[in-house]
Amino acid sequence: MASQEKITIYNLADLKNTTDDAIPNYLTSLKFTPSHLLTDVRLTLGFSAFALSAACFAWDYKFGFESTKTYTAFAVALYTVLNGFLTFWILYVEKGTIYQGTSPKGDKIRISTETKKNIPVYYMTVEIKDGKTGEKKTLKISKSFTEWFDAAGRFVAAPLQTVLAQGVEVIGKVDIKRAAAKATKTEGEPVPAAAVYTPEMLDMLSGAGVSVVGSAAETATGTETAEAKKGGKRRKN
Amino acid sequence: MLSALGNPRQAAAQLMNFGLILSTAFMMWKGLSVISDSPSPIVVVLSGSMEPAFQRGDLLLLWNRNLFTETSVGEVVVYNVKDKDIPIVHRVISKFGTGFVLLRRRPTAKLLTKGDNNDSDDTKLYAPGQNYLVREDIIGSVVGYMPFVGYVTIMLSEHPWMKTVMLGIMGLVVVLQRE
Repeated sequence: MASQEKITIYNLADLKNTTDDAIPNYLTSLKFTPSHLLTDVRLTLGFSAFALSAACFAWDYKFGFESTKTYTAFAVALYTVLNGFLTFWILYVEKGTIYQGTSPKGDKIRISTETKKNIPVYYMTVEIKDGKTGEKKTLKISKSFTEWFDAAGRFVAAPLQTVLAQGVEVIGKVDIKRAAAKATKTEGEPVPAAAVYTPEMLDMLSGAGVSVVGSAAETATGTETAEAKKGGKRRKN
Repeated sequence: MLSALGNPRQAAAQLMNFGLILSTAFMMWKGLSVISDSPSPIVVVLSGSMEPAFQRGDLLLLWNRNLFTETSVGEVVVYNVKDKDIPIVHRVISKFGTGFVLLRRRPTAKLLTKGDNNDSDDTKLYAPGQNYLVREDIIGSVVGYMPFVGYVTIMLSEHPWMKTVMLGIMGLVVVLQRE
């Protein structure tokens, strides 16, 4: 899967989903064993509900409404129960979990993630259970998406892996290389807006002094600024 | 979104989400059908025979249970003519007898209907030899309506090319969204 695919950096759902997909891939590449229990229960519930409604459709189509009324009534009630349970499962049991598994060293890990509306920060909650001592720990890591997405919207795996390896010892124990790598940005705080712009832009901005960065910026620094400012769309000059 | 198909569980989950949307819509329709006891609890008015009360394109909500009273004169009912699939929305103008459940030799009421905007009653619409309706022929009485909403259904069935145009537009939107 080429990570040269670009996503829209303004779409919070895209940012979250791409990152959510990348973390299990990373952990699996480190030989973590995933536990599919949550997903399997969800799939079973969902597909049984779907199968029930398909059966209802079939007998209604074949035998008509009047003769199958009672069956349909039971089917609708059971479907509501299944769907209700599925919703409960997703909201209260899964709770945003994107990975659950065991490290090669025997520690259990569970990562759930969330985002808040209009804030480009990735909030991770990591629950660890030590394999040998059985001790449980919960870590909260929040990082701005700018740490592993470039201005054009390409996902860069290394910084995300570094964040995880350095933030979570269970992962760091397995991925020595990333745990030792230099941290790319300051930890903890959301990245200030200035770090999003390229160095040329910052020079030009500080030089101009005027707040409006209009056409002067585009013609002065050419297409690079246009790309960073307009989120990947090139302006015809 | 499609890029996640490398993982079979993820593909199954996407498929499940799509399937659940369809099945929930269907089950909601069936649920309404069962509650109102009508095979088609929502119908679209196809003709102008009930003007000025109902216009072509109005959406009608039907209720087919006689919880408190029998179907009486003055109610607007929807019925299917024997062996035809076209629902007709007209008003009950006369009733002969009482009772609507076939119990032993107890007779059931005979009903005659007529469209408000028609000159004569529905005798000529019924099957040959049939001069009246019984309660079983009726698939519901009108208990609510939404004007004009059903016109899309009429347009789609009278101008089938519009279905192709609509599908084409939806296809375009999906393709453009991928970019």
